[in-house]
Amino acid sequence: MSVLAVSNLTKRYHRGGKPFAAVDEVSFDVGPAETLALAGPSGSGKSTIARLVLRLIEPDAGRIDFEGANFFALSGAALRARRARLQMVFQDPLAAFNPRATVARVLGDPLRIHGIAPRAERPRRIAALLERVGLDTGLAARAIHEISGGQRQRVAIARAIATRPSLIVLDEAVSALDVSVRGQILELLLDLQRQERIAYLFISHDLGVIRAVAHRVVILDAGRIAESGDARAVIADPQSAVGKALVAATPKLVRTSQDAS
Amino acid sequence: MTALLSIRDLAVRYRRGGVPALKDVSLDVLAGERLAIIGESSSGKSTLALAVAGLLARSATIGGTINWKIPKSQTSHSFAPPSVLPDISPKRGEIEPSSPPSPISNVAGREPTAELLISPQVGEMSGRTEGGAVARQLSQPRDTIPLLGRDIGFVFQDPSSSLDPVMPIGKQIAEVARTHLHLTWREAIAKAKTLLERVRLPNPEATLHAYPHQLSGGQKQRVAIAAAIAAGPKLLIADEATSALDTIVQAEIVALIRRLVSEDGMTLIFISHDIALAASLANRIAVLRHGELVELGETSQIVNAPQHAYTRALLDAHLGLDAEPLLDRQGTSA
Repeated sequence: MSVLAVSNLTKRYHRGGKPFAAVDEVSFDVGPAETLALAGPSGSGKSTIARLVLRLIEPDAGRIDFEGANFFALSGAALRARRARLQMVFQDPLAAFNPRATVARVLGDPLRIHGIAPRAERPRRIAALLERVGLDTGLAARAIHEISGGQRQRVAIARAIATRPSLIVLDEAVSALDVSVRGQILELLLDLQRQERIAYLFISHDLGVIRAVAHRVVILDAGRIAESGDARAVIADPQSAVGKALVAATPKLVRTSQDAS
Repeated sequence: MTALLSIRDLAVRYRRGGVPALKDVSLDVLAGERLAIIGESSSGKSTLALAVAGLLARSATIGGTINWKIPKSQTSHSFAPPSVLPDISPKRGEIEPSSPPSPISNVAGREPTAELLISPQVGEMSGRTEGGAVARQLSQPRDTIPLLGRDIGFVFQDPSSSLDPVMPIGKQIAEVARTHLHLTWREAIAKAKTLLERVRLPNPEATLHAYPHQLSGGQKQRVAIAAAIAAGPKLLIADEATSALDTIVQAEIVALIRRLVSEDGMTLIFISHDIALAASLANRIAVLRHGELVELGETSQIVNAPQHAYTRALLDAHLGLDAEPLLDRQGTSA
């Protein structure tokens, strides 16, 4: 059974007084421990889908089933319980956190709010989370604004896994990172997926990154699905006009043999 | 090729006693070349671009020399506007085409091919005043100073913050042409329309009267490029000018920059964190790390035979469409 099933999802906005569909009859699903990537140009609807899945905004039509339940029918305690299973990591962790909070506070909040660990046990749990994402436990006492961008994104991942989610929405989560840090964060995400069987909805404009980590890809254009399928197969031989344009526009590093000439 | 500018031992500190943003960087920018400067965060790549353009904050401590060789013909629009006097300009510190020139470029030679030189003493000179402002002496004829907007065009990452949100686009471009080419408003507006055509904006006549918020991100960046080249600069500096755009728009803007640089015979300094993008555009690539120049070479040499371990690491970290997926390396299955 799929972790996330999206069917005929539609979200309309108004632009210049005229309605337009930011997301138009979109359907896809994500299986356990699977990474589904959403790709597409600016304005194709990637981030609107992320916000709909997180229920930050309500759709005009369509349905989202999360862990087998109609996500938009849930409310109160049932919704809160389910929300713990659905987490998110955004592009800019500095904007996602209170910059003056300590790392311990950022990681302690979900443990407290979702009743995962009593107060006395929290420091130990926080240390375990930091270790899990490859950070020194001494970082707990530091303020968010004092640590590096890569460390901050690891803290964002630690916060996301604190509630033992089955799905994490990653919205351009590695786009702002330096390439050397990006590789480490992607390795960490893959390791967590393998160990904890977490599914990812991986939103990115970068086909190179998608190809490196995603099992399947959905390519969006103007709110509609242009094509979808096995990530490597689609990127190797795109069929849609937008898929072809995205592949053609991706910078290629043409490396010949190792001899200097 | 001859050097358009020679940078020697350039060192920049934003705070006294702080970590240097640039450490003794020396390189030549050759006339007519497309030079990419690449590096990760805090490598100093933007600091280098700002130093060349004379846009560093007045509180920054600057050492070393930047030696310009701008052909006399290029700088002989004899009467630069009075606002170039750096210490009295009310626009000091603002980033716009009419900003005062680089402190580094304030000392000019007198030869027909003006050679502009600043000594380390001048760079770290006394005269520090309140607010960290530094008094810079202008000892050479003003018409040989490389001037931002006239001799140097600068394109920033975010066109939303480099364009004036409440000024029509035509006027923003025309302003540059009027200031530096000494045109009338009517001539400058006509020039702006031609420039909008050159950067391939649809319906240039209507766009002249449009405001930035009415355009997409890629269209705004085209406007910013039109303004940057309005006075016919010898040097175009693009500082992460495509990084905020999606992949397809990025490719279009890179193609536009390549075409304009070639048509106008401009020299290009292209600042990027993306080694593949840099390699697709540049003749030469300079690799910066922690404020130091670690490697500089022809693009094919940097890409195929990097000499420095850090360059190799950057190349290996690139996730291209032909790289082995990390999924496979980890042995994960779907």
